[in-house]
Amino acid sequence: MGMRKLWLVTVNTYLRQVKSWSFLILVLSPFVMIALSFGIGWISANSATNGDRIAVVSNQPALRSAYLKTLGKDGAAPAIKTVKAAKQAQRTEKIQGYVVLTQGKQLKAVYRGSQALSSSRKAKLTSFLTSVQNQQNVAQAKLTKQQVATLQQQPIVQQKVTSSLGQKKVAKMASFWILVFMVYMILTTYSSITAQEIASEKGTKIMEIIFSSTTAIKYFLGKIFGVLLMIVTQLVVYVIGGWASLTAGQHFSATRDLYTSYHALINQVVGNLFSINLVFLFVGVILYTVLAAFCGALVAKPEDSSKAGYPAVYLSMIAFFATFPFQSNADALFVRIMSYMPFFSSYFMPMRVINGTASTLQISLSMLILLATLLGMTWYIGRIYGGLMLQTDEGSFWKRLKRGLAN
Amino acid sequence: MLKIEHLAKHFGDLEALHDINFQVADGEIMGLIGQNGAGKSTTFHSILNFLKYEGTISWNDQDINESVFDQIGYLPEERSLMPKLTVEQQILYLAQLKGQPARKIKGGIDEWLQRFEVKGKRTDKIRALSKGNQQKIQLICTLIHRPSLIILDEPFSGLDPVNVDLLEQAILNAKAQGAAIIFSSHDMGNVEALCDELVMLRHGNMVLHGEIRAIREQFGKNEIFVTTDWSQEALLQLEHVIEAKQLSRHRFMLRVDDPAAGQPIFQELSGGHYIEEFSQQPPTLDEIFRLKAGDGHA
Repeated sequence: MGMRKLWLVTVNTYLRQVKSWSFLILVLSPFVMIALSFGIGWISANSATNGDRIAVVSNQPALRSAYLKTLGKDGAAPAIKTVKAAKQAQRTEKIQGYVVLTQGKQLKAVYRGSQALSSSRKAKLTSFLTSVQNQQNVAQAKLTKQQVATLQQQPIVQQKVTSSLGQKKVAKMASFWILVFMVYMILTTYSSITAQEIASEKGTKIMEIIFSSTTAIKYFLGKIFGVLLMIVTQLVVYVIGGWASLTAGQHFSATRDLYTSYHALINQVVGNLFSINLVFLFVGVILYTVLAAFCGALVAKPEDSSKAGYPAVYLSMIAFFATFPFQSNADALFVRIMSYMPFFSSYFMPMRVINGTASTLQISLSMLILLATLLGMTWYIGRIYGGLMLQTDEGSFWKRLKRGLAN
Repeated sequence: MLKIEHLAKHFGDLEALHDINFQVADGEIMGLIGQNGAGKSTTFHSILNFLKYEGTISWNDQDINESVFDQIGYLPEERSLMPKLTVEQQILYLAQLKGQPARKIKGGIDEWLQRFEVKGKRTDKIRALSKGNQQKIQLICTLIHRPSLIILDEPFSGLDPVNVDLLEQAILNAKAQGAAIIFSSHDMGNVEALCDELVMLRHGNMVLHGEIRAIREQFGKNEIFVTTDWSQEALLQLEHVIEAKQLSRHRFMLRVDDPAAGQPIFQELSGGHYIEEFSQQPPTLDEIFRLKAGDGHA
C-alpha cells in the first residue's frame, strides 16, 4: 500500500510537469534550434548561389555543354546562351558573370563579371581548358596509342596517416564540452523546477491533507522520483533525437559528406558520453535535485518559489565554471580533489575519465562517495521534510529552519 | 474511539497546549471551541501527527501513523486544492492517497457531486470553480473514502446558509454510519445543533468539557424569556433581576442573579393568570463561550 502511494505521488508529479508547455519547449528547443540553423544555412546557401552563377557562351555547343557540367547545377546558368542575354542577366544581378569560350588551335576563355572568379572556379576552368586542349593537341599530333598512353601517365600522391592522436584530442575536447554543458543545463533546469514545484506547495493546506494520507518521506521521494522521470524522459528524447539526426545525416545529400568525414570523431564522442560518465551525470542530477527540494522546502512562502532554486543553481554554476581552466589539464591536483567532492564530482570525474587520468579504483571511490552522500541527504531531508513543509513562519531563514526541524 | 490523554505541546517557551484529555467515541460528534489561538488547530495537528507532542493520542488503541491514515478524513482550516487539476482528477488523486481504488471512486463521484449540488462540474478545472464550490469539492475529498475518524477544522467558515445545511447533513450522515467526528467552529449555533459533547480551550487549557446540555445546566437557569405588557423599567425593579433586555415590543430577556428567583418573578408577572410566554433557561452556548473562552466579558 505504502509503495502504491509513493508511485501515485511520482506519477502525479511527473504527469503534471510533463504535460506543461514549459517542459515541451525545454525538450524540443534543441531540435528546433538545430533545424532552424540548418534551415537558415540551406536557405542562405541557396539564395547565394542564384547571384553567384556563371553563364557560358560559345559557338561550340559540345564545348559549352562540357564546361557547364563542370560548373554543376548550382554554379551554372545554362538558360543564358548569348552574350546579349548574359550582359542583361549580369546587369540585373541574376548571374555573377559569363565566360565566352572560343575554339581554334588554341582554346580561349574570356570571363566578364561583376567580381573576379573565385580561385576554385578559376582552377576548375583552367583544368577544364587544359584537359580539352590536351585532347585537341593529341588528336592533331596523330600519335600512336602507346604514345598517347605514355603522355597520359599521371604522378601518384599517397597519404598514410599512422596515428589519430589529433582526432582523439578533438574528440576528448568535444566530449568534455558536450558533457559539461549537458550536466549544467540539466542541473540548472531541474534544480529550478524541483525547488519551484516544492516551494509552491510550502505552507499550503493541501500539504496537511496529503500528510494526513501518506508519510512526508514517501511524498518527498515521490516528488524526487517524479522529477527524475522527467529527466529520464528528456534524456531518452535526446538519445532518440540524436540517433535520428545521425541516421538522417547519413542519408541527406547536404550532410552526407560531413558525416562521412567526421563519423570516426562522432563515434569517439558518443563512446565517451555513453560510459560511466552518464552514471555520474545521472547521480549528480539526483543529488542536486534533492538539494533543490530542500531549498524549496525552506522558502518562507509559496510566493518565493521562483527564488527557491537559487542556492542549488549557483552551486551548479560554480562547479561548471570551475572546470573551465582545467579542460586541457585534467590531471591537476585541484581536479583530482574535486573529482571526489559531491556536487563537484559530477563535472570533474567525467573530465578525468574522458582524458584517461582516473583509474577504475578512483572512479569507483568517487561514485561511492557520491552515492553515500545522496542516500544520506535523501534520508535526512525526507525525515525533516514534513516539519519544513507545514511550518508557515515568516521569520529569518535560520528561524524557519530551526522551527521546521523542531516540529 | 479517539483517545487523547495528557496532551501538551510547546513551541519554544510558548505552551500551546496543556494537559488536554478527551475522547470521541464512534458515532459521536465532538465540538472543539475556543478563540483564535486557543490551540484548536494545534490539537488537530497533534492528532494527525504533524507535530511532536507530549502525552498520548490513539485511535482504536493504535498510535496514529500511516497504518490508520486511510481511516481519517481531514478538512484543514483554510481551503486549498490543486488549481490545475479537474474536479475528477483532484478527487481521484486524494482518494487514491487514502488507499481507494480508482474505479470505485470514479463510479461514485457523480453521486457525491449531486449530493453537494455541484453536479456537472466533474470536468471543470478547480481554478475555474467559485470559492463556495471549491469548498464543496474539498468536503467531498474529505468524506468520499468514508472515513471512520473525521477531523474538520472550521468546516462552516465562509459557507452560506444553504451550504451549511448541506454540510450539517453530511456530518450527521457520517455520524449515523458510525464515524467519530471532531470539528472546530466559531459558530456556537452549529456546535449546539450537531455536537454531543464539546471541549472548550482557552490559551491551550481545557476550560470546559462535557455534554452540551450538562454544561449549560451547570451555569444555572439564570435567563428568563418573557412576553409581557410590563415596561423595561418596571421589570428592572423586580427583585433579583440584574438586566432586562428588550428583544421585541413586548418580549424581554431577564437575567437574574439567583435561578431560584424564577418562581416569584413568574407569580409577580402572571398575577396567577395566563401568561403568553415565560421560559427560564440556562445561558446559551454563545454566552458561555463569551464568558469562558474570552476574558469573561459577556
